[in-house]
Amino acid sequence: MFLAIKEIKHAKVHYGLIIAMVTLIGYLIFMLLGLMLGLANENTAAIDAWSTKTVILSKGANVNLNQSLIKTADLPPLKAGDSLVGQSPVVISRQTGATHKQSAQLIGLRADQPIYQHLELVSGHRPQKPRQVVLAANLRTKGYRLGDRIKLAGQKQSLTVVGFAKDGMLNMTPIVYGNLQLWQAVKGGPQFAASAIFSQRTFQLDTTALKAYPRATYVNKLPGYTAQNKTFAAMIGFLMIISMIIIGVFLYILTMQKLPNYAVLRAQGIPGRTLTVATVSQAAVLMVSGGLLSLLLTRLTMLGLPASMPFQLSWPLAAGLTGALVLLGTVGALIPVKLIQRVQPLDALR
Amino acid sequence: MNLIELKQVSKVYGHGVSQVQALKEVNFAAAPGELNLVIGPSGSGKSTFLTIAGGLQTPTSGQVLINGQDPAQLTAQQRDHLRLTRLGFILQAYNLLPYLTVHQQFELVDRVKKDHLTPAALQTLLTELGIDQLQAKYPDQLSGGQNQRVAIARALYANPAIVLADEPTAALDSQRVQGVGQLFKTLAVKHHKAVVLVTHDQRLLAFADHCYQIEDGQMTQLS
Repeated sequence: MFLAIKEIKHAKVHYGLIIAMVTLIGYLIFMLLGLMLGLANENTAAIDAWSTKTVILSKGANVNLNQSLIKTADLPPLKAGDSLVGQSPVVISRQTGATHKQSAQLIGLRADQPIYQHLELVSGHRPQKPRQVVLAANLRTKGYRLGDRIKLAGQKQSLTVVGFAKDGMLNMTPIVYGNLQLWQAVKGGPQFAASAIFSQRTFQLDTTALKAYPRATYVNKLPGYTAQNKTFAAMIGFLMIISMIIIGVFLYILTMQKLPNYAVLRAQGIPGRTLTVATVSQAAVLMVSGGLLSLLLTRLTMLGLPASMPFQLSWPLAAGLTGALVLLGTVGALIPVKLIQRVQPLDALR
Repeated sequence: MNLIELKQVSKVYGHGVSQVQALKEVNFAAAPGELNLVIGPSGSGKSTFLTIAGGLQTPTSGQVLINGQDPAQLTAQQRDHLRLTRLGFILQAYNLLPYLTVHQQFELVDRVKKDHLTPAALQTLLTELGIDQLQAKYPDQLSGGQNQRVAIARALYANPAIVLADEPTAALDSQRVQGVGQLFKTLAVKHHKAVVLVTHDQRLLAFADHCYQIEDGQMTQLS
């Protein structure tokens, strides 16, 4: 560590540039992680808020809530923790103030079931009448306010906004919470009980018309969700491998310049292990410095990001990735270590 | 007791038509308290002699004993330890790490070797070499002569029983040559070290107890 620190302090520009590069790679990794988690959250925020363990859909829906309809006749007996959810894609248009149209998902709930009862609001109250709705809180950034009147496309009667819900995003789309009768009106009648049952328990079905899916299976089948996460994860993985190679190559070049000195040190009896430890610990110092700086840069960037941007950083995960970055960078240092191991004391006199 | 002994040592490089005999049946001994000078032109085998005498490589034939041990019988790790504890090398170039100050060059020795000079003895040594004011400087802030004197001090700081130097006065002016010659002589006599200087600097002859000429791999003892 003595040699590593002294060299970094002496060649500030050399090592400053390497740290800057690691910082930029780390920054890119954390920004991608933030976007990945932010987008994932916009897919699943509501499902998480509903404490979902099992999702029951109609058998032919292919794990797609949009395609699922449960007939009243097929409805299984419900227990505590089960909620009927009517879902339909809608377009809302604001009737008060400036006109605005917004694609959304209508979620119809029953007032005596857990999702309705535990709906967390940031303002207002839950829908208590058939023509009242609660909007996803992020729609406030688009100018929606309590008391606004909105219409659903194809519906004549207007609805009153009585609240804003926290975590009101499902599959990247803001939710309009209403009651189940409102959803049935949109869907065309009471022959359908709901689109799905979201349950907080493991659900056993004795009907063949429906199928129960664990939360993970349902979430992974959300349109675009898995592909999006895999794309981000692959980008992060590649960046980490690239950072490992970059640190290895830089240290290799710097080590090559130091070989004559190392040969003299070996001739003087300095063990090869001392030089190896110096190189590996130097890589660790560079990676830790770059990792911490990139975390700081990410934090500063987050202060300036617009609220509408889907960005969410998990600090434990970011710390874990920093650890992985340090580990991979240190592994990268094994490239120049092979060079050091080949230095012979005799090279000092050649 | 001799600290270095070479008995009938020969060294051959290469095979067939490209074969070169760098050393031919060399006999050499260096005892504590003596300054030995090995003089010869370029390509005479001086460097090969130094590497074999310092345990950096083994001879093709003959026997080498350093501090009573044959390096050929030791593991690489044991040879490292032998060089670290018993030998002090002073080479022509790359002796100093460019990113350590003069003071830190000695600190590096502290970290790998327990037996070294006391701070007071180091201060005396630096004063004798005229580099006591340069401790905060980096090698690239020193002249060639100053660098060489720091390298000498660094090797001696490790308090070796044997000092091997390759052209130790190459970058020094006449006045400094006298000083360094006297320093090596003092080291041999006062500190009871076996000193071997490989050089073609005739100005050091005056300080030598034994002088050897090496030419075409053959060593002969001068007066």
